[in-house]
Amino acid sequence: MTLAADLRALLKTSRVLDAPAELRTYAYDASFLTQLAPRPPDAVVIAASTEDVSAVMRYANQHGVPVTPRGAATGQAAGAVALGGGIVLALNALNRVLEIDVANMQVFCEPGVVHAQLNAALAPHRLLFPPDPGSSRMATVGGMASTNAHGMRAVKYGPTSAWVLGLEVVLPDGQVIETGSVNSRAKQSSAGLELTKLIVGAEGTLGVVTRLRLKLMAIPPARAIVLGLFDALEQAGQAVQAVFGAGVSPSAIEILDERCIQAINLYRPAMALPRVEALILFEVDGNPPGVRWDAERVSEVIGPFAQHTEWSDEPGRINALWEARSVVGAAVGMLRPGSNRAYCGEDICVPVAAIPETLRAIQDISARHRIPIATYGHIGGGGLHPGHLIDGRDPDEVQRVLRVADDIHHLALRMGGTTTGEHGVGAARAPYMAEEHGPALEVMRRLKRALDPNGIMNPGVIFDPLPLPFELPLAGPVGEPASTLAALDPG
Amino acid sequence: MLACIRCGLCLTSCPTYVLSLDESEGPRGRVGMARALAEGQLDVTPVLVEHELNCLVCDACTAVCPAGVHMDPLQVALRAALESDPRSAVGPARRRWRVQLTRRLVFGWLFMDLARFRLLARVLWLYQRLGARWLARHLGILRLLGLERAEALLPDLPRAFVIPHDEVYAAAPGAAVPALASPSVASMGPPTPGTERSVGPAGSPGSERSAGAERSTGTPAAFFAGCVMSTALAEIDRATIRVLQRAGFELRNPARQGCCGALHAHGGDVARAMQLAKANIAAFEDTAGPIVVNSAGCGAMLKDYAHHLRLDPEWSEGSKVFSARVRDFSEVLADRPLPITQQLHAKVVVQDACHLLHAQRVSRQPRDLLRRIPGVALAEIDEPGLCCGSAGVYNITNPVQSRQLQQRKLDNALAACPAVIVTTNPGCLLQLKSGLAERRGTVRVVHLAEVLDEASRP
Repeated sequence: MTLAADLRALLKTSRVLDAPAELRTYAYDASFLTQLAPRPPDAVVIAASTEDVSAVMRYANQHGVPVTPRGAATGQAAGAVALGGGIVLALNALNRVLEIDVANMQVFCEPGVVHAQLNAALAPHRLLFPPDPGSSRMATVGGMASTNAHGMRAVKYGPTSAWVLGLEVVLPDGQVIETGSVNSRAKQSSAGLELTKLIVGAEGTLGVVTRLRLKLMAIPPARAIVLGLFDALEQAGQAVQAVFGAGVSPSAIEILDERCIQAINLYRPAMALPRVEALILFEVDGNPPGVRWDAERVSEVIGPFAQHTEWSDEPGRINALWEARSVVGAAVGMLRPGSNRAYCGEDICVPVAAIPETLRAIQDISARHRIPIATYGHIGGGGLHPGHLIDGRDPDEVQRVLRVADDIHHLALRMGGTTTGEHGVGAARAPYMAEEHGPALEVMRRLKRALDPNGIMNPGVIFDPLPLPFELPLAGPVGEPASTLAALDPG
Repeated sequence: MLACIRCGLCLTSCPTYVLSLDESEGPRGRVGMARALAEGQLDVTPVLVEHELNCLVCDACTAVCPAGVHMDPLQVALRAALESDPRSAVGPARRRWRVQLTRRLVFGWLFMDLARFRLLARVLWLYQRLGARWLARHLGILRLLGLERAEALLPDLPRAFVIPHDEVYAAAPGAAVPALASPSVASMGPPTPGTERSVGPAGSPGSERSAGAERSTGTPAAFFAGCVMSTALAEIDRATIRVLQRAGFELRNPARQGCCGALHAHGGDVARAMQLAKANIAAFEDTAGPIVVNSAGCGAMLKDYAHHLRLDPEWSEGSKVFSARVRDFSEVLADRPLPITQQLHAKVVVQDACHLLHAQRVSRQPRDLLRRIPGVALAEIDEPGLCCGSAGVYNITNPVQSRQLQQRKLDNALAACPAVIVTTNPGCLLQLKSGLAERRGTVRVVHLAEVLDEASRP
């Protein structure tokens, strides 16, 4: 029997896919690595119950078949692609909100719930799950937990791990366990090792998350935005330090570099932003008088460093001020029409004080490899997202952008930072883990072996890298499609 | 296609992904399969064709794509390529037969000439009037032919159609006519001389609102009558014309216009679609002002002529000029005064047509127009951007998904407890009407033009 036939015989309600066309659509996430080297799994299981997940794991463990858990595959690190073959275990159809416990400010849900949809379901109760990834509209909470996603409000509210109270987890041998207070509803506990924290951020290498109990907070009643424009990057860095020093705790601090500003002016000429080295948006939230005090205080302390500041707590004006941040993702493509983002070396995090120097170094890398890079990020926590723009049909540019990514990862480590602030290691950054963690990586491997002795869970991710992507052959003749379907690209 | 960065932002906007939660039923998967096909890494297989043809071409993914991938032209090109590939025959024999028949008969013959379309509409009118419908429904013939659902979508046909024959509908007396149209309209070229205009014979269908042969001082505009709109839904065309007249437009209805070709293009028959496109471009060449269309699906296609014909040396320029003139009915009314005389005390929801919301990015204007009517309480519905499942002939070619989406749309719309559901596209209108008929509710589904016509009745 084939793998798919075995799985079909085994599973009660889950769907099993094995047609080549279908497998192809599970061969990548948003990472540049899987764009270059898509890898279809041997079978896809769209899981419909914990029971079926457990059956898949028992079977896979017995037969030594690799299993890669997958949410919406919106990750940029090749963490949810079966690069070593085997089964992709899709959890996105496990998408029920099981219980909103308003009194205890908790929600119990399945991993496939989409982040924005969760908060939409909580909104009528005036409740909020605060981690806020840029991919809110498509990312699943299971994926957020597995990558320990941060998002721009982590500067005040912390990462996803701070909001996960407990998990139901299927271990590699099929055993189902509950961690933390998945059933107790206690908001804190000192009872033993924090297995919840071990699984959160493990990127599906230790087990499969099938249910989550998440902590919630009340939706802050007010917010305000402060905009600051800075002639020099160094002044932007000093301004952020001054804000923290002034006792204000903004709910987001977002920086856009000169290239981003240039891109926004091309995308929305009406915004007419001045040519400066950095634009920073500070968001403050809380009760209305406090928000106004915070916003005025931020304006005051950044004033000496900024070329221009303004703030507002009017909803219409907030949107206008925030517009630069909300369009930047779409706008960066304007820097080079016909080009596209290549997600590699896209998620470093460095000490806040080192941000100006890091941003200048990124521009040096950009010039050295002749690849335009527009960088924005969560300056409050030190997270930076360099956006590289390339023409994917040019093999030379492909090689150059891979070198850009490599340089950026080493830069982050040199600055005393990390190769990934919030997107996760995946397969894309596994080659840097030895350099980043030193002997601690071996401790991680020992933990991994203890839980997954047969090494079936998401091989190639975090612990033991696969060959580097640029040593793999390209996916295909992207330049000149051979068939009559060549005309497919409309523009 | 190469632009797709696989970020997945499109997933939750896609109706078939939302239904199935399967990546191969989502835009990212469809683009991925098409690319792999083009690069020779996948073969044409029934599974692949099925997933691609399940796409509604609603453009919800296009509207949210940060990388600028356009699903509509991609699907048109893909379907055109698959059309000639024998390996693309999918589904059970009965369904294949129906799809083939639909394509050959309906697209190849019927939609190519409005006169034939009117003939069929007349036959169907007779079917409805002479008791044959009652017989067919009660004897189970429709079920036997597998036409039950298709027949249920058929509206009660009007006796008189709108037959374009170069007639001119003058601006209503006393209508507020701006000295110049909006800049975008004014820049579309000088008005053509009135001498070329003719007026249809008095009393003939569609011309009964004609104001006569004398020259009018209204803002010139041309009317795209549509095939379904001018026949099965001719009352809506007439309502549209009346509203435009009251808003100060002098409307010309060019004689040689025909079907927009959207159904052909989305069915992979690009050659016939372009034949229709060229006929329409020629038909409107001598008209002035905006080309006003009251069907969102047609409007999106007309605005796309410039893209489809961009490489045609003979037609690229003309198609560019034509497409730049096309405006949805709600767009041309948005910044013009319309004398509102009636009140409508009702809770109203807008069912955004995908080809208006996503393909033309028009959502504010219909709502603003409705807000002008005293008494209207406008409410929003959940999942406003999710297709109702009509999507051209999708409700006939993909009845299962179509019905799921229809029911979901109705659930969402009815949750807002409206008295009236307003839409801007014939497909949506018929899809929702047939779904509501089953539920035996009292909620009315109407076209925006009907509401505005009623509200501006002298």
